[in-house]
Amino acid sequence: MDFFYISLQLISAIIVAPLFDGIARKLRAKFQSRIGPSIFQTYYDIYKLLKRGRTKSHSTSYIYQISPYVLFISAAGMFCALPVTYGINSSVLSQFSDIFVLLYLGALFRFIFIVAGIDTSNPYAGVSASREGTVGFYTEEVAVICLIVVMMGAGSTNLPFITNLIQHGLYGYAVPSFSIAATAFLWVMYVETGRKPYDLAEAEQELQEGVLGEFCGKDFALIDIAILLKQFAVLGFFLVIFIPWRFENPILSLLVFLAEVGFLYVMAVFIDNFGPRFTINKGMKRTMLFALAISCTSLVLYIMGI
Amino acid sequence: MQTIYFLYLITSLLSIVFYKKPLFAQKIGFGLATLISLYATIFFFSHLHETLVWQLPGNFISAPLFKLDSLGMFFSFLVSLIAFAVSLFSFDYARFYEKKANLAVFASLFNAFILSMLLVISSDNVFSFMLLWEVMTLISALLILINDGKGASKNVMIYLGIAQIGAFCLMIALLVMASFAGSFEFSKFAQMDISFSMSISLFILLLIGLGSKAGMFPFHVWLPLAYCQCPSNASALMSGVMIKVALFAFIKFSLFLPQSVQFGYILLFMGALSCVFGIIYALISNDYKASIAYSSCENVGIIFLGLGGAFYGLGTNSPAIALLGFIASLFHILNHAVFKSLLFMLSGNIFTATKTRDMDALGGLHKKMPITSIIFFITVLSICAIPPLNGFASEWTIYKTMVMGGINEGIASRFFFTLSIIALSITGAMAIMAFSKVYGSVFLGIARDAKSIEEAKEVSATRLLPLGLLASLCVGIGIFMNDVIKMISNIVLPLMPEATLSTHGFISMPIIILVMLSCGLIPFVLFYIFKANNKEARITDPWACGFIYNKNMQIGSNAFTGDIKKALSFLLRYESEVKIDGYFSKAVYTHKTHDLFWEKLYEPVIRYIMIGADKIGVFQNGRTNLYAGYILVYLCLILIFGYYYL
Repeated sequence: MDFFYISLQLISAIIVAPLFDGIARKLRAKFQSRIGPSIFQTYYDIYKLLKRGRTKSHSTSYIYQISPYVLFISAAGMFCALPVTYGINSSVLSQFSDIFVLLYLGALFRFIFIVAGIDTSNPYAGVSASREGTVGFYTEEVAVICLIVVMMGAGSTNLPFITNLIQHGLYGYAVPSFSIAATAFLWVMYVETGRKPYDLAEAEQELQEGVLGEFCGKDFALIDIAILLKQFAVLGFFLVIFIPWRFENPILSLLVFLAEVGFLYVMAVFIDNFGPRFTINKGMKRTMLFALAISCTSLVLYIMGI
Repeated sequence: MQTIYFLYLITSLLSIVFYKKPLFAQKIGFGLATLISLYATIFFFSHLHETLVWQLPGNFISAPLFKLDSLGMFFSFLVSLIAFAVSLFSFDYARFYEKKANLAVFASLFNAFILSMLLVISSDNVFSFMLLWEVMTLISALLILINDGKGASKNVMIYLGIAQIGAFCLMIALLVMASFAGSFEFSKFAQMDISFSMSISLFILLLIGLGSKAGMFPFHVWLPLAYCQCPSNASALMSGVMIKVALFAFIKFSLFLPQSVQFGYILLFMGALSCVFGIIYALISNDYKASIAYSSCENVGIIFLGLGGAFYGLGTNSPAIALLGFIASLFHILNHAVFKSLLFMLSGNIFTATKTRDMDALGGLHKKMPITSIIFFITVLSICAIPPLNGFASEWTIYKTMVMGGINEGIASRFFFTLSIIALSITGAMAIMAFSKVYGSVFLGIARDAKSIEEAKEVSATRLLPLGLLASLCVGIGIFMNDVIKMISNIVLPLMPEATLSTHGFISMPIIILVMLSCGLIPFVLFYIFKANNKEARITDPWACGFIYNKNMQIGSNAFTGDIKKALSFLLRYESEVKIDGYFSKAVYTHKTHDLFWEKLYEPVIRYIMIGADKIGVFQNGRTNLYAGYILVYLCLILIFGYYYL
């Protein structure tokens, strides 16, 4: 039964994610005084890509072939690791839903992203592969510092366990370190979505789609879905820990969860539309230092036992 | 077990006997080593929970005892497992060094090296341990010299120098412990009655003595030098198992001391430093073998983090943490042995095919060596701790230990455990970058220097077979993670009988795989439903923004880490220089990264020692009369000393 719910969770996210992306695009267009595309535009894009033929660079190897699938698997795995429809009662899947499984599936995503970029031997893909790794270096420690506070406070790395604990009020915002960690974690998860001003892997206009410059056709469609799923997964990661609204009925929890994630996703337009563009070193250093400082504050509070 | 030792000795002697026929000797030496190691692997594995004792017979000065308990059995198993794979690999690989050295000597040293490691593990007496320890060091130094060349003797001297510092500290620690225990037998060492300050200084001496051999920061400087100089099969053995022997000795000896929490803190701190600095240097290195070597330092750091948790658990009397810590570190020791020896052997494959270690010259090797490339990919994934491979399994266990330790009240414990989790996560992020760089720039893209891969071709089956075996171990250990943990817990449990392992909250690797595989189906369903365009892709040049594509446009390994180098510039020293003479000639770009700790820590010391040695040299002036005078002065001093103080 759990497997049914987990696949429902995944499939519904795949179906709904482009819609929220479309809404976000529409909203962004409104801000920029454009009419903008229809809110279903992302569906049309993906469909069109699926129908298109492909070209590939002569230097590519098997990595290029498998990378869309692996990217999809890791993003989908990350999303499945969120205990939304399962985990209220003990379940087999809670052996899968673990903070470090989620983090290291994210690492797999990043690894394949980098390697695929190098494999195309496209000059721009190489540069953005390098940036992707650098961004990972900046974000990982902030994310982990926040998670340390949560894991050690809750005493486990198991996500369903932590979620239940927080939902029942046994641990949560009454603890100062936890609530400060929430701020930094939301920040860093936003960075992980790779949107402006943190779309450094895609970077300047001339870098075009960055790592994905050489991908096309159905591969590109799949990667698009994978990236959307990853963005949903990292925003959901924040939600399941810091705003766990779950109900006995898994379908209801799923609906509420998707609405929450979609809301966050669309609201991110307010940042990404008005955010400036940075060069990678200055941007990361300047902005991530704040996130790092916030997370360190919460860590210090935790160490002091507050 | 004496049969195994004896067989290795015989093989070692046998291969040196055929000194005149090196090719034959090489076949005998490595072939027999493979068989013996296979037997030894099975033997040690089947006797994992027994204690075997063996006394050296005959009329020697002493009759040292050799004893293997279950921990020793585990490490002996590890040594023979890796030795099996490496000797099968060397069977063909060693021929690459035909012109450089006599292969008979190579084979003989190789066998002697395995033997010395096994004997170090089983020796039960201070003197035999120290003797064999030094023999092990010397043989490994000779193995480095097999690949003689420019700078080889300097590298060996650095290795030996650091090994000597270590051996010195180790000797002092063991002698002091022996004097407290009143016996030179290790079995009588337990329950020494010593003060806290004494035990902590002994612990630090042991840490320096054995940590230097294990490649712990800041004694890591020998790792890249020695491993890069070594033939790859020898570096696979050294990095895969020799540093594990040091860790074994460390676990064994420090358990004799009365435990305190501070042991745990020291280990956590050193482990955190070690893994972060190890991976930073692995990341910025342009030599793939040096990168792999530095990552040994990183992994030893990770193992020390696990051990830190274990010693913290022992010090605070919380057997659950101690048990999990030991399991985690032994698990990571096993995994590191597997994937690090694998990586070194693979780097041997790359080197024999391309004759270069410079990542900026390589690229596109996948097309020439597909199997090597795929095995390398699996190994790299497992060293980056990607689920569901073995690296992830053990790092997860270490994380679990850290979280369990950090829950306890107490500012110090929370501080050290959070510090180590942060260190481990930074290491994880940088490992991703370091190894994607190594894999990407060696195997993917287009060769930067077309000459380098011109003659490359896939290596022979005898070389690929052991690699395939170890790679499948990487996957297998990952999948059967919980069974391996159970097996290791049975080894550790005799050390702390009151602990019980609870696997509550453990992840289950089969479920992770199941979920990942079923996620993998979705794309195909999607393509089917929407009738995706499945036509074969057209082959084109990579897109270069309208310019004509050139392979030099690819990202180089230097540029790849450029941003991160700038971000870490407070920790690194590097110089880059661009030489342009004239418009039509090629610009030359050179880049050099320095090991900060070698320059700031070791070079001044070496310089002062040189100056000191020069000054002392005045005494050695070749005049016999003066030498007689020295002896006279010395005798007088001794007499005076004896008269007043004895």
